[in-house]
Amino acid sequence: MGIAKLEDAKSSQSLPITKPESRLYMSFIHVAFISLLIGGLMGLLQTLVRSGKFELPWGIDYYQILTVHGVILGLVLTTYFIIGFHFALMGKTVGISEKQRKVTWLAFWVMVVGTIMTATTILLGEASVLYTFYAPLRAHPAFYIGLALVIIGSWVAGFVNWRQLYVWKKQNPGVKSPLAAFMVTINTLLWFIASLGVAAAVLIQFIPWSLGYAETINVLVSRTLFWYFGHPLVYFWLLPAYMAWYLVIPKIIGGKIFSDSLARMSFVLFLFFSIPVGFHHQLTEPGVDPTWKFIQVVLTFMVVIPSLMTAFSLFATFEITGRKKGYGGLFGWFKHLPWKDVRFLAPFIGMLAFIPGGAGGIINASHQMNAVVHNTIWVTGHFHLTVATTVILTFFGITYWLVPHLTGRKLTPQLNKLGIVQAIIWTVGMTIMSGAMHIVGLFGAPRRSSYSEYGGTEQASEWIGYQLAQAVGGTILFIGILLMIYIFVKLTFFAPKGEEEFPIAEEEEDAEPTPAFFENWKLWIAITIALILFAYTIPFVDIIQNSPPGSKPFDFPIGR
Amino acid sequence: MSNLQEKKTDPNQKKEPELKGTLISVFLVGAFIVISWIGVFVLFISR
Repeated sequence: MGIAKLEDAKSSQSLPITKPESRLYMSFIHVAFISLLIGGLMGLLQTLVRSGKFELPWGIDYYQILTVHGVILGLVLTTYFIIGFHFALMGKTVGISEKQRKVTWLAFWVMVVGTIMTATTILLGEASVLYTFYAPLRAHPAFYIGLALVIIGSWVAGFVNWRQLYVWKKQNPGVKSPLAAFMVTINTLLWFIASLGVAAAVLIQFIPWSLGYAETINVLVSRTLFWYFGHPLVYFWLLPAYMAWYLVIPKIIGGKIFSDSLARMSFVLFLFFSIPVGFHHQLTEPGVDPTWKFIQVVLTFMVVIPSLMTAFSLFATFEITGRKKGYGGLFGWFKHLPWKDVRFLAPFIGMLAFIPGGAGGIINASHQMNAVVHNTIWVTGHFHLTVATTVILTFFGITYWLVPHLTGRKLTPQLNKLGIVQAIIWTVGMTIMSGAMHIVGLFGAPRRSSYSEYGGTEQASEWIGYQLAQAVGGTILFIGILLMIYIFVKLTFFAPKGEEEFPIAEEEEDAEPTPAFFENWKLWIAITIALILFAYTIPFVDIIQNSPPGSKPFDFPIGR
Repeated sequence: MSNLQEKKTDPNQKKEPELKGTLISVFLVGAFIVISWIGVFVLFISR
C-alpha cells in the first residue's frame, strides 16, 4: 500500500497583487530599508571606534551605537522585511481578503509604535543593553514594552498568514497547499513558538523589574528564555532566504523545483530542531546541567541535516537545469548559470557564504570546542557571514524583483548592473571584515567591547591590525549600503513603469506527488512541542529550584 | 484527505537525472566543513 498523495492545485498559483496589497507589503519593506541605513551607519561607527583612530562625538557612548546596530538590524530590519516578503508570497499564492489586510495594517502599526518606543529609549541613552538585553543590565521600561509590542504585532501578522492558508484550504479540500504558503506557515509557527520565550521573559521578568515592582531578577532564567528564542530567531531570518532559494532561484535560472517533498521536509525539520537547542549559546553558563547542554548540542547537530538537504537540492537544481539546456561535462552547468542577473548573483553569493557560515556554526556548537571561540569576535564574524551576508544578500536579491513588482516598475539593465556592483562591494567588504573577525577571534580578541589597549598587554597589541582591517571592511560595506539604498529608492519611486515578474518556480510535469502527511499540521506541532518539553523541562525546573539569589538592576557601566 | 490521487507515472520508466557534478559539489562542501572543524579542534587541543 502506498502513501496517500496530495492532488496538485488546478489553478496556477499566481494571483494578481492589488494596489492596496502592494501598499501594505511595501510599508514593511520601507521600514526595513530605513533600518538598513541607520543600523549600517552605526556599524561603520563601531568599526571606526574599534580601530583606535576615531572617537564618537557629543558624548555618544559606544554601547549605545552597538545597541542601535544590533536591535535595528537584527530585530527590526529582519522582522519587517520577512513579514513583508511572507505576505507577498501568501498574497501571490493563496490570496488575502480585505479583512485580513486590515488586520495586517493593525499589526504593522502596533509594530511601528513598539519600534519607535524602543528606538527612542536607545537614542536617549536609556537602553544601552545591547540586543540581547542581558540582565542585570537595566534599560528604561519603555525599551521592553516597545519590544513586547513589536513581538505582539508580529504575532498578529503571523495569525493572518495562518488564516490565509486556512481559508484557501477550505476552498481547496484535499489539494496540496502551495509550497510558498507551506513554508511561510512553518516560519510563522517557528517564530510564534520561539518568541513565546522572550515574551515571557519581557512580560514576567523585565518589565516589572525595570519598573521597580520586582526588586530582583533571576538572571539565569532570563538568559535561558532569551536563548530559547535567540537560536530559532536565526532560523526565522534564514528560512525566508531558503524560500527564495527553493522557490525563486529555480525560476530565475529557467529550471524547475528539484523536489517539492524535500523542500517541505527540510522546513519541517527546521521547525523541529531549531528551537530545543538554545543551550548551545550557553555552553559556558554556570548553573545549567552539562548533561542537558550535551543533549541540546546533539539536537543542534540535527539541524545540520536540513541545511545539507538544501545544499544538495540547490546543486541538483543547477545541474539538472544546465544539462537540460545542453551544457555537458562535469561542471558545464555551473559556468552557464546567469551570472549577469543580479536576482541570481546576489542570493548565490549568499549561498556561498553559508558554506563557511555553516562550518563556523558547527564549530561554535561543538560543546568543548566552543571554549575556543566563546565571547570572542569570531562569533561576530560568524553571524556577519550568516545573517549579514547569506540572509541579507538574498533579501537584496528578492528586493530587485519584489519591489518593482509591487510598485509597478522595472528593474532596468542599469539598475541590474548597479546591483551586481553592490553584491561585489558587499562580498569584498564582508570578506575583509568577517575574515579579520574570525582570525583575531581565534587569537582571543573579545566581542561586544569598545576600543581598549587592555593596560598595554602584549596580546591585545596583536589585535589592532585586525581591528584596522575591520574598519576597512566596515567602510566598504557602508558604501555598499548607500548603493543599496539608492537602488531601493530608484526601484520604489523612479524606475520606468512596467511589469516585473514575480518568479515562483513550478514542479516538473512528471514529479512524484507530494505525500499527504505533509499537511498534517497537528503532527508537526505536536512533535515540535514534545521536543521542546523534552529538551527544556528538567533543566528549567533545575534552574528555577537551584538558582542563586536574584540580582538588583545595574545601570552602570552600561545600561541607563 | 478525501481527494487522493494515484501515482501519475511508472517509476521504472523514469530516467534518473545525471547528478555527478552535484555529488562532487556536496563532497567539497562536506570536506570544507570537516577541514575547518579539524583546524579549530587542533587549536583546542594545543592550547
